[in-house]
Amino acid sequence: MTSYDPVSLKILWDRLVAIADELVLSLVRTSFSMNVREGYDLSCMIFDAQARLLTQGSYSVPSFTGTAPRTIAHMLKVFPAETLKPGDIVMTNDPWMGTGHLFDINVMRPVFKGGRLVGFTMSVTHLPDIGGKGISSDCTEIYHEGLRLPVCKLRDNGVMNELLLDIIRINVRVPDQTVGDLLANVACNEVGGRSLLEFMEEYGLEEIESLSDAVNDHAEAAMRERIAEIPDGTYENSIQIEGPGHPITLTATVRIAGPDVFIDFTGTGEPVRASINVPFCYTIAQSNYVIKCLTIPSLPNNEGSMRPITVTAPENCVLNALSPWPTGGRHSVGHFVVPLLMGALAPALPDKVQADAAMMNIFSVQGRHRDGEEITSLFFLAGGLGAMQGLDGRAVTPAPSNMTVMPTEIWENRTSITIEKREILADTGGAGQWRGGPGQEVVFRNDTRHLLEIALMGQRTEFPAKGLAGGGEGARRHYEVNGLTVDPKARIELAPGDRITMREAGGGGYGDPAERDAKAALVDRMSGYVTEL
Amino acid sequence: MTYRLGVDIGGTFTDFALVDDDTGALSIHKQLTTPRAPSESVLTGLAALLERTGVGVTDITAIAHGTTLVTNAVVERRGAVTGMLVTKGYRDSLDIAMERRFDLFDLRLEFADPVVPRALRVEIEERVMYDGAASTPLDETEVDAATIKLVEEHGIEALAICFLHSYANSDHEERAREIVAARYPELRVTTSSEVLPFMREYERWSTTTVNAYVRPLTDRYLRDLETGLTTMGFTGRLLVMTASGGMVTPAIARRFPVRLIESGPAAGALMAAFLGERLGEPNLLSFDMGGTTAKGALIRDGRPLRRYEFEVAREYEFKQGSGLPLRIPVIDMIEIGAGGGSIAAVDDRNLLAVGPRSAGADPGPACYGQGGDQATLTDANLALGYLVPDAFLGGRMVLDQPAAERVIGATIAKTLGVEVTRAAWGIHEVINEDVARAFRVHASEIGFDYRRCAMIAFGGSGPAHAIRVARKLRIPKVIFPVGAGVMSAIGLLTTPISYATLRSGRILLDGLDEPGLEAGFEPVERQALELLGEAGVPEEAIAMERRLDMRFHGQGHEVEVALPEDFQLAGLSNLFHRTYAQVFAATPLNTAIEIVNWKIEASGPRPDFADSYRPFSGPRASRAAVRSVQAYRDDKAGFSAWPVIDRYTLGQGGSVDGPALIQEDEATTVLGPGERVEVDALGNLVAILTPTGDSP
Repeated sequence: MTSYDPVSLKILWDRLVAIADELVLSLVRTSFSMNVREGYDLSCMIFDAQARLLTQGSYSVPSFTGTAPRTIAHMLKVFPAETLKPGDIVMTNDPWMGTGHLFDINVMRPVFKGGRLVGFTMSVTHLPDIGGKGISSDCTEIYHEGLRLPVCKLRDNGVMNELLLDIIRINVRVPDQTVGDLLANVACNEVGGRSLLEFMEEYGLEEIESLSDAVNDHAEAAMRERIAEIPDGTYENSIQIEGPGHPITLTATVRIAGPDVFIDFTGTGEPVRASINVPFCYTIAQSNYVIKCLTIPSLPNNEGSMRPITVTAPENCVLNALSPWPTGGRHSVGHFVVPLLMGALAPALPDKVQADAAMMNIFSVQGRHRDGEEITSLFFLAGGLGAMQGLDGRAVTPAPSNMTVMPTEIWENRTSITIEKREILADTGGAGQWRGGPGQEVVFRNDTRHLLEIALMGQRTEFPAKGLAGGGEGARRHYEVNGLTVDPKARIELAPGDRITMREAGGGGYGDPAERDAKAALVDRMSGYVTEL
Repeated sequence: MTYRLGVDIGGTFTDFALVDDDTGALSIHKQLTTPRAPSESVLTGLAALLERTGVGVTDITAIAHGTTLVTNAVVERRGAVTGMLVTKGYRDSLDIAMERRFDLFDLRLEFADPVVPRALRVEIEERVMYDGAASTPLDETEVDAATIKLVEEHGIEALAICFLHSYANSDHEERAREIVAARYPELRVTTSSEVLPFMREYERWSTTTVNAYVRPLTDRYLRDLETGLTTMGFTGRLLVMTASGGMVTPAIARRFPVRLIESGPAAGALMAAFLGERLGEPNLLSFDMGGTTAKGALIRDGRPLRRYEFEVAREYEFKQGSGLPLRIPVIDMIEIGAGGGSIAAVDDRNLLAVGPRSAGADPGPACYGQGGDQATLTDANLALGYLVPDAFLGGRMVLDQPAAERVIGATIAKTLGVEVTRAAWGIHEVINEDVARAFRVHASEIGFDYRRCAMIAFGGSGPAHAIRVARKLRIPKVIFPVGAGVMSAIGLLTTPISYATLRSGRILLDGLDEPGLEAGFEPVERQALELLGEAGVPEEAIAMERRLDMRFHGQGHEVEVALPEDFQLAGLSNLFHRTYAQVFAATPLNTAIEIVNWKIEASGPRPDFADSYRPFSGPRASRAAVRSVQAYRDDKAGFSAWPVIDRYTLGQGGSVDGPALIQEDEATTVLGPGERVEVDALGNLVAILTPTGDSP
């Protein structure tokens, strides 16, 4: 076993992160999936020979924070490490083993050095399609949602499983793109393996387990040091969110005990007959994400950085839904783990937590372009961010996941649906010493000359983004068609010439509004963010 | 006797490179920049240089000029009060921006404010659709009334006119400009379609508003400069460098000052490309490291790679996404917050981190003895023996080595529990790693194989790090050019007048015929020919390069395809497939192909500088006694005596075997044991590297 002083550790560790980052970038470049390209809905990881996570690429959405060690454990249960050969590629999209829904494919490749297994690489990306109904509110079982692949070998000892590829092709709407993205994952892992070997060669390493020990122990120590600074205690929070026809309760108890964090979701409601149930892996990822944001945001994810965090949830609550509950849109419930835990920890970490964000409005559009081409796509609009101690919430910014706005000019070219207006909505950010971020109003006009179908899945139409420490709540989300209010969870039809107006919610404020700095208040009024006195 | 002068205004120094057209002899000069009135340092420096060399101002036929003025004006918010006329419903586009967080884990993000405040943006009733059809006519009365209000109530000096889909039909923007001009002929107006007819309103408008914002100040600056030069008796031609590496006339620079952003580093990359061509190295990494940042550029087949994306005024820890996006043609530069002044610290991970914060020139590194109490890269390099204390900046400053060691000990070594030397080595090596990583990541983003390239290293700190960076990248050859400290100023002299631009226009390849292809390029080629014509370049002397951004229908990333001279439309699909396979290392799909952007670059004839460039006038007598310093190799070998060689004494065909420090006025080349440089015919030092293992 080799030992590493802080200087070597820093250099070698950062190099590993850089390798993972390189993989992420090359995958983004080749991907067909909009979620991957615009939202970094992907991740790349490097493991040591004991399948311990050494590093994860720096760019990826919170849903992937620290899920990979469990995924690889599932894979190695089916194909034990000692049976793997160079040229093997193992994969699965099982929501309970991977990252929570069928769209995400997890692709793993063992790395051999001179015939000896030295580590693994893995990539996860959101595929362009996986068949079935995808993310749709009328799925009631996982079987509606598409093709589910158990842990399987896409390539065995260098031989591609063509039958498996054919099965995928015949089950999806865009076979070229889906298989293209799948093969891009394979290529990315090949490059990752090569880079890992070059790294070992450059530094004269025969194994990376000692380095893995050093990296993981160091990360764990750094995390524990920071967690120990949080006042010990048990912190609770319970929120309501909008479910299909009835509210869902999410409850969390966070116990800080010295250098450990225990998070438990007892008290959370049952799974629902809609594709918004959350497999436990996803709940863990969001929990890890919150603790990371509140402790050392810049710490690269690895096994050690997650060791101090223990997450539990009763079986078959909505945050630990078991098969065959549908999970396609697990983010629309799972994202609320972030404000739930931030709210719980607000008394302990008043200068670190963020008030509730307005969340994203994700909706799907189906119809035809004026030129006849089919339109079927998901779109995103952000509401306002929550405020923090010392920082106003930014207007129109997504959280906790990320997306890039679709420019009007691109949208209109692609859909021929006109966007008449995108305006920041005054008075929608929660009041506070620090103001919540305002939402926006977006008006679409159906100029396609065809009927359009829009599936709405809006949250925060009933339960607004709450403020913290006396801050006010943000305005609610609201939808209208031709001036008439519509059900925010409905599938609606838009006739040619019809308009739909989406008013995106505002983020919560932080602190007592009476304490707001006079100059900041003046700037609010001058810019028009606030009109009420 | 005629001469040409390159002048590059940097943040700290204004560099001058004067070249004799007949002999190619080079004279250089450095002058402290006067940030508040940058034309002053140009005029003062020029007078000093002329006096020293005895050259008459009337003998200078051309001055090629690069400046950071525009960049600084945006960063420091010193531009004009600027208004914006914008399509109804879109006033908030500049605030809504990308609807994106640039860091998912750091919750305290801050973003750059738009240069036009919300109150100065006025919505205008008008609408052009995606196909270019005007669905709502321009409300001309509203344009007039809005302008009157902006000028009379808000005192705007500049106006940006930003309408949707103006890349497809610019009639409304142009008509609005006429209305404004009729009312206020002096008001400087920029339309979004003239700046860059590119599809994506936020980025186009961000570019347009920044252009408007810096016009009045660029105008004043160039007027002062031209007046000053004329008063001195200069009768030659003044040209200004753009970020894309092309020269423009002052008239074009005044209309599109946003294109001058980041032109200094671009000139350095051009110089590297030019040298590479002279040395038969068409594929290069250009590595320029100074006091606060390092800049890298990749050069393929003799040309620096270009792109149409830049971000200025990064608000938050230099992070990508925290600044204002600009869509202008730029040389594709990698910028790393790593330079001599980069501050070392122990970070949240309890590990060493270096940069991007910099101690700058004041207080500067601890070893400057000006009160700096944080360890910097320069302090580490000094502690390791890679800088000669009394030879810094040609001996104009004596460095305090004990101070450097003290501060590294107190701020880094003690916290980490390692020896001072080990900490210093860590600082040095972390920077090497950061630079290598940035090159690696960028090369992988664009599919560039750097392992067969040579590296050209310059800037004040580049030569001290180049060989170790090159080894990490497995680059076999490193070139240390003459005049490493004024590469940008020399680079200004190598580049022709040119204008690059693009327009968006989506079309499926299947539906494209020859006339359609010509029509696609026509608007941008017309604009470029007009501008070059105004600059006095005869049409027959203009070389026009065409490129297309293409992609598979449905895919989001485009591939840039250069159209060869003997281009046939029938071959375009194959050309795209080949480029796609090359860039993505993936098998092309059997899917429809579409064109997204039409790009051109029109260039005038290249200055004949190329043939006369001979910067090397032969070895000089040593100004310093040959001596040695104790320098650090690695943790196994520790310190040993390394000779210090005066670079100016090395003659053509000479060589130096490492370990050695090769000292010149602005930089020190660090040559490790077993490494060797040879002096080529132009006076460059060339190191050939053989692969060896590295010790962390």
